[in-house]
Amino acid sequence: MLEAEGHQVELVYLPQVDSPELLFQHMAAYRWVDLSSADRVICFRPPAHFITHPHKILWFIHHVRVFYDLWDSEYRGFPDDLKHQGIRDSLVAADNAAIGEARHIFTNSNVVAARLKHFNGVDSEVLYPPIFAPERFHCRQFNDEVVYICRMEHHKRQHLLIQAMRHTQTPVRLRLSGSGGEAYAKYLRKLIKEGGLGHRIVLEDRWISEAEKVDRLADCLGAAYLPLDEDSYGYPSLEASHAGKPVLTTTDSGGVLELVEDGINGFVVEPDPIAIGGALDRLYLDRARATEMGQASLARLQDLNISWKHVLQRLLA
Amino acid sequence: MNIVIFTPALKASAIGRMTCLVSRELSRAGHLVTIVRSEDEVFLAREPHPFGLELIAWNERSAVESRLSGADAVVYQVGDNYSFHRGCMEWLQHCPGLVCLHDFYLGNLFNGWAQNRRPEAIEVLQQWYGEAVASNFLAASSHASFVEETCRSSPMTEWLCAMATGVITHSAWGIERVKTSCAGPIYVVPLAYDAFDSASDIGHKKEEEYDIHLLTVGNVNPNKRAASIIQAIATSDLLKNRISYHIVGSIQDEVLHELEGLAGGLGVKLRVSGEVNDAALEQAFGNADIVCCLRWPSLEAASASTIEALLHGKAVVVTDTGFYSELPDDCVLKIPPDDEISSLRATLEQLTLDANLRQSLGERGRDWSSKTFTAKIYAEQVVVASRAVARARPILDTIGYFRRLISMWGGSRAGVMESLPALQVFETASRK
Amino acid sequence: MKILIVNNMAPFVWGGAEELAVHLQRNLIAAGHESEVLRIPFQWEPASRIPSQMMMVRAFELVNVDRVIALKFPAYLIRHHHKTLWLLHQFRQAYDLYDVGKSNLPRGPEGDELRRLIRNADNESFQESKKIFCNSEVTKARLEKYNGFNAQILLPPINDPELFSGGEPGDYIFAGGRVNSMKRQHLLIEALPYADRAVKLLIAGPPDDQADATRLQEVVERLDLADRVKLDLRFLPRETYARYVNGAAAVAYLPFDEDSLGYVAMEAATAGKALISTTDSGGVLGLVRNFETGFVASPDAPALAQSMSSIFRDVERTRGYGEAARQLWRHFAISWPRTIETLLQ
Repeated sequence: MLEAEGHQVELVYLPQVDSPELLFQHMAAYRWVDLSSADRVICFRPPAHFITHPHKILWFIHHVRVFYDLWDSEYRGFPDDLKHQGIRDSLVAADNAAIGEARHIFTNSNVVAARLKHFNGVDSEVLYPPIFAPERFHCRQFNDEVVYICRMEHHKRQHLLIQAMRHTQTPVRLRLSGSGGEAYAKYLRKLIKEGGLGHRIVLEDRWISEAEKVDRLADCLGAAYLPLDEDSYGYPSLEASHAGKPVLTTTDSGGVLELVEDGINGFVVEPDPIAIGGALDRLYLDRARATEMGQASLARLQDLNISWKHVLQRLLA
Repeated sequence: MNIVIFTPALKASAIGRMTCLVSRELSRAGHLVTIVRSEDEVFLAREPHPFGLELIAWNERSAVESRLSGADAVVYQVGDNYSFHRGCMEWLQHCPGLVCLHDFYLGNLFNGWAQNRRPEAIEVLQQWYGEAVASNFLAASSHASFVEETCRSSPMTEWLCAMATGVITHSAWGIERVKTSCAGPIYVVPLAYDAFDSASDIGHKKEEEYDIHLLTVGNVNPNKRAASIIQAIATSDLLKNRISYHIVGSIQDEVLHELEGLAGGLGVKLRVSGEVNDAALEQAFGNADIVCCLRWPSLEAASASTIEALLHGKAVVVTDTGFYSELPDDCVLKIPPDDEISSLRATLEQLTLDANLRQSLGERGRDWSSKTFTAKIYAEQVVVASRAVARARPILDTIGYFRRLISMWGGSRAGVMESLPALQVFETASRK
Repeated sequence: MKILIVNNMAPFVWGGAEELAVHLQRNLIAAGHESEVLRIPFQWEPASRIPSQMMMVRAFELVNVDRVIALKFPAYLIRHHHKTLWLLHQFRQAYDLYDVGKSNLPRGPEGDELRRLIRNADNESFQESKKIFCNSEVTKARLEKYNGFNAQILLPPINDPELFSGGEPGDYIFAGGRVNSMKRQHLLIEALPYADRAVKLLIAGPPDDQADATRLQEVVERLDLADRVKLDLRFLPRETYARYVNGAAAVAYLPFDEDSLGYVAMEAATAGKALISTTDSGGVLGLVRNFETGFVASPDAPALAQSMSSIFRDVERTRGYGEAARQLWRHFAISWPRTIETLLQ
């Protein structure tokens, strides 16, 4: 997109590690990356923000999370001892210093912005990342099918939708599309079979091409996206919005709630099968409302300024 | 926190005594403390201070290793005495940790360490002080005046502190050399001491008692200035008349004869007790009106006998140098080293004539010292410093990694790293 | 296997090494491997920042990689348990260019320290590599002379040999590739007045800068050769470039002291074209053999003119030289599948 606007752009990918022992070694290495021939440097993932440049811009998408918001979680993978507390505290101090060098600090969501504020005391501007070539998405019709196009992983909770289908009162259909873990897909298939839902649910556990995705979204009744406590609004909900479709999500989906407002551009319901089933029925029964909410999804993109034009304007401000 | 402390434990070690107080305090605060005795094999059978903990000896390798592997923090109590601190030196190089630095001069420690590692020792000397100083050091190591000859040019502080991930010391006067050699956090923490419950010690001297008791405690070396004190007394009839001077501490015969001869010739009342037990020392402090803690030159990070005198609520006279300069001006009287005798005479006269001054000085000194030189504060600061070391550790390891890399590639030690200001972003974290 | 190609990058600069890395990746994938190119930023100015960038590379930890193929300094300093070097460049400023006074490293202790660091780090990397290949005789000799390491020569293949199928010889001699004073396209134009009227010239390729383009245009104008010289000075689509080669009577390539055979000569040989080069062109002469695959002239206008005229005087002989060039090139047996096989052996 920067190139489309006439800028010269180089993407620099460098190795990244998560091991506490090598963390600082890598951070130090990034200090020595010489990108002085660029006018602007935009940094996304850690430790890219350690790069030195007179005009460094952060579009911060996450911390080294095991030392931040995931410290008190099963993901930490090392003991909560003095050594690792020391690494954590030093990381925060070094992050603070490196972040402090940036000319502008953007984040990809309110969730990440709040974390930056909480852990680093840094104010940032939320700059929602748009999707690639959003104009591809369009609305053709509202058929009987709610689609969930996303990687199949437990924390994306496709299983919750299948369970919800047992509680629906209408002939509403469900399509789950995306590649993912073998075991989880097997589990989903078992759920469908047990629920006797084979005739109303299509499970496509494979890689879905962009063209297929565009088609599915153009025709569907609505899109579901119910990850557990996601950082950002997520591309599936964004793509559905570009296709002018309502988005079904849950109250615990995290960043998705920055995009979806209950009853406006979709439904936000409790993460339980009965509530989700009810929402599926409502979409099926009231097409006029579904259409209306789909329109609101498009409008919501405008409201939140989710566009490459805005992104470039802000990044290069 | 799981803390392993290397320290001499035998009763003869004042550092051991302090560490004993501190480790009891650490245990009380809920920390798991392991003591590794650092004294030479020949001392390991000696009775230790009452740590109330199981003690491991530094040469019990596997036991030490197993304790180290679970440690959050490793602390080394180091003073200028190789036979007491040998175990610290054996482990510090392989298992870097927080060094509690009791002396800013470590020439004797280094000399002891260097006995069986001559080439390595020469390299260390040259690296820190250059070739000329290194050869002077080696030449002086057999001289009686070894300390005087080397304390300014090559105190070996850097050698020790470069191995430390952090340093706690007990006064600030010698800290520049610590800063230039230790990249980790550095803390100045008052030495820990037993607080005496000793209201009775304060100068409740009967008004009618005529003699003023002046006391000096410690190994009688020239730097304790006993001869100067005798001379100062001798220059004043008042002092000669009223002061009775008491020296307590181990002393060599020739020094004893020399001092007794000097005092006798000048008509100064002198009593020398030599080394005494704790009870006798207690009594000596109790009897004293004034304690003279002069030092020149001064090499220690803190003086136990001065702290003890303060805790006893005595009027204390010190040399205005090093650790002693940092004591509050309203708690001690300070003698400029370049005007020692006449200034000392004036000060002693003032104290002799003014019982109120002696008393108020002693009270202030006791109040201040009993709040300052506590094991509780020291223990808290060990914990604070250990946390700071844990923060500094990843950064020091990283810098160490690059330093080794550059030196393997044949780069100079200073040259390359110093030219890399980009790493300063980590500086805040490593320095505190 | 997961194979990581490690190369340098100078932001906003794209050249032969970058192309080679991309084609290597493409061909590794075609051979059934997973492959990515890691491009590590490197700026050799100012020289004082070279050590930090060396440390930077050394500090990177590669996970999830089975093999590394590294191409340039300092990229090849990267640590990996199975590292193969395909050496396109050492840092010549610390070696032969320093010796001839063409280095950005300062003379004196500071420069000596830099050279010592580079040499030691290089030696360490060469030592820990499983195998070292060089892209030319010259690179190999340099490595042996300065670092005492033996390498095997592995010439980079042509990336798209299918484009150079050959064709009927046309009425022009083609000179392709980058246009600059070291490649000496101007010599060819200056030779034209000494050559037969029948000799025509097509010079096409991207000039390094505007001055290089202007110089050629001026020579054409000064010698009034507009009717015999066609200049197409730009970055050519590959198809266009291949059409120029395939339609040529012969291909001339006269760089000064080139390290390698040169893509221009390799592609011309693939297309079965007779070659013209000069006695001081270095590695190119591996493919251009006088009166065998073409002509090797001394680098002056009259001598070159003689060779250029000969191309058109005896068309059958020229055709024969072209065929011989193709055979010689085939004899080298350089292809991507074989190259990949060698690199992974």
